[in-house]
Amino acid sequence: MSAAGPVIPSFGRGSACVTGDHAFCWGWVRDHWGDTLEPHLVQHVELTLVAVSAGFAIAFSLALLAHRLPAIEHPIAIAAALVYTVPSLVAFQILVAFSGLSNATVEIPLTGYSLVILYPNVVAGLRAAPAEVLEAARAMGLRRRQILWRVELPLAVPAIIGGLRVAVVSTVAIGTVASLVGDRGLGYPILYALRLPTPFRTEIYAAGALVVVLALGFDLVLVGARRALVRWAR
Amino acid sequence: MGALRVVFDSADAGTFLAGFGFVVHHAGFLAHKAVEQLELSGAALGVGAAAALPLGVALGHLHRGANVAIAASILGRALPSILLIAVFLTVLGVGFLDNMCALAVLATGPMLTNAHDAVDGVEREVVEAARGMGMSRLQVLARVELPLAAPLLFTGIRVAAVTVVATAPIAAIAGGGGLGDVIVNQASYRLQGVLGACYCVMALSAGVWLALLGLQRALTPRPLRSRRVLGAGDERRELT
Amino acid sequence: MIRKHTRRAAKAAFAVSLGVAIVLGLGAGAARPSPRMGPAIVIGTKNFPEEYILGELYAQALKAKGFTVTNKGSLGSTELIQTALTSGKINFYPEYTGVIVQDVFGRKFSGPTARATYEKARSLEASKGFTLLAPTPFSDTDVVAVTNATAKRYGLRSIGDLKKVGAYAFAGFPECQTRNTCLVGYESVYGIGRPTFVPLASISAYTLLDQGKVLAADVFSTDPPLAKPSKYTVLADPKHVTGFQNVAPVVKTSVVRAAGPTFTRTVDTVSAKLTLAAMIAMNKAVEVDKQSPAAVAHAFLQANGLL
Repeated sequence: MSAAGPVIPSFGRGSACVTGDHAFCWGWVRDHWGDTLEPHLVQHVELTLVAVSAGFAIAFSLALLAHRLPAIEHPIAIAAALVYTVPSLVAFQILVAFSGLSNATVEIPLTGYSLVILYPNVVAGLRAAPAEVLEAARAMGLRRRQILWRVELPLAVPAIIGGLRVAVVSTVAIGTVASLVGDRGLGYPILYALRLPTPFRTEIYAAGALVVVLALGFDLVLVGARRALVRWAR
Repeated sequence: MGALRVVFDSADAGTFLAGFGFVVHHAGFLAHKAVEQLELSGAALGVGAAAALPLGVALGHLHRGANVAIAASILGRALPSILLIAVFLTVLGVGFLDNMCALAVLATGPMLTNAHDAVDGVEREVVEAARGMGMSRLQVLARVELPLAAPLLFTGIRVAAVTVVATAPIAAIAGGGGLGDVIVNQASYRLQGVLGACYCVMALSAGVWLALLGLQRALTPRPLRSRRVLGAGDERRELT
Repeated sequence: MIRKHTRRAAKAAFAVSLGVAIVLGLGAGAARPSPRMGPAIVIGTKNFPEEYILGELYAQALKAKGFTVTNKGSLGSTELIQTALTSGKINFYPEYTGVIVQDVFGRKFSGPTARATYEKARSLEASKGFTLLAPTPFSDTDVVAVTNATAKRYGLRSIGDLKKVGAYAFAGFPECQTRNTCLVGYESVYGIGRPTFVPLASISAYTLLDQGKVLAADVFSTDPPLAKPSKYTVLADPKHVTGFQNVAPVVKTSVVRAAGPTFTRTVDTVSAKLTLAAMIAMNKAVEVDKQSPAAVAHAFLQANGLL
């Protein structure tokens, strides 16, 4: 067993900017992009994509079902509204009691919120086809399923993309709350920096900027997608 | 089945029921926290209203700034509350003020959008008829546009109020107090405490919603009560 | 005319999004490295910097010796990490001896000495199928701190001196109000005047002390702001009300057996190097100089020939 004490190396003093608590330290951002900012950014992107994809898949299925059976549209809408009344922090904590600190705890509420935003949009989109066009399609002898795929869905694209834009931006924002139940996403660097003996502004501003940029980035991608899809539909 | 077990291994009906037990045992403490939360929310709502309502009404009256209203609602959705709280804390220091400002920013979105849309959406013929009768712009605003815009406008206030009350727990990370103090302090209060406080937050939000709805009904002049303008405001409710 | 592309594109998009969701959602948690030497060690830590550093220290040292290690990082509070341990999600985490005795097993008092506390914790854990490996030299206990100006103003040197202040604000985590190693102990053993308790959530007690929002705060002995020369004065605790909190890794006994003597030796060697000075220096590097816990752990292990 070692008798002497340990060697305590110098860990590299933080730059004057960091220890002096200046407003923003580019040096720190450069040095810690790889070990702090980028991993959390990737986690946040993943978080968002999984929740919105799953939410979209479920919303789409439910909307198609409601399109066929109008009777269930209202009950589904009410159920959706109920989900929406649960604040995000509360939802995450309730899920912690269910599934501990796993991906499911974070993804289930986020999927729920996406679903709730997307469902009305898909339903509204499916209704967007003007009556005359539907008449014409039926007159041409198209069956119900063909009308759905060839007429109603393409016309629903703008509403669906509109819904996706809202859902994605919301999810990016709500995803930051998820960091209160685990080290996941861009909310975590913000929380961590807030808890230090002196709140570390650079980390807060850097992570915050990434969140805003991420939301805007997704939004632009979707706007581009809508343009492309609408052009195809012509 | 193994996958489901992995996901739901902590599922315990006991913990959920224990949450209710916590509420019963610590009713006084939780009530005190709830009042704290309402104080913070009320202040934030007031400040937000003071900023958003005059601006929204003015823009709607002039039929300008539709983009501003849309931008306000988009920003309201996109700005994470945690970020707002953190940024205000670095600027204003710890305390009531910084949390109030962060929540006020969240409150302005729905109120600005709805105020603008409500006044903007009053039927042109009615406005023109009133002008034709010789009313000044201000009289038209006060006696015609505002009463007709009231339902949608109030809905905006109601949505903002519930948004603020539901988001206030997050302010606990910056010393905001309220039920959030329990929810973010799972280490101290354990899961049942956190769940108990969660139930209280949901009850509080529902209570605020119903109270404001009742107030709105009571204040709406009888002839306008049949107008049900509920749809537009609800979809814009934020959760962050 | 509506093109066929759109229909196919819609179907494809739907299928892809569903597929992405399923794959990412389920796959994300399921990665399992194939064991190279002994069983897979899965480490978890609590959610504050000192624990992150400890997790990295043990993880990196074990990896260097050829063990298969996954560091799951911050898992939350004592309650949550215990759930993760007992449910098998992790099989290794660094815990504090006093916390084991008083929080995990609910005993009222820990022990009169550091050694006694450790032995008690070890036997309690053993009864549940967990092995407590060797303890660190450093102990991270609650301490009461005031600013230097406050200490001078009221002549405060030990916790009992707070009686002289009268009415004041005292900050601490909420559980401090119910702990024998905290407020309950301070009040019953020393008497500390009439404090109004200000619960902490996320903001550091030091921020509150600096901004004058509270007069005294319950903080921890390895906090970097307490390193000399410090802006704060730590009040003495002559009767050891705060107990003993050396760190010792809690590991599932079956894993210890399967991993063999090299495992135990590696972990114990790391623990032996963790003196109070070392821990404070590492905490400072992370919390004040804003280095990452992984880099700090790496530097320490390398300097001490453990990598």
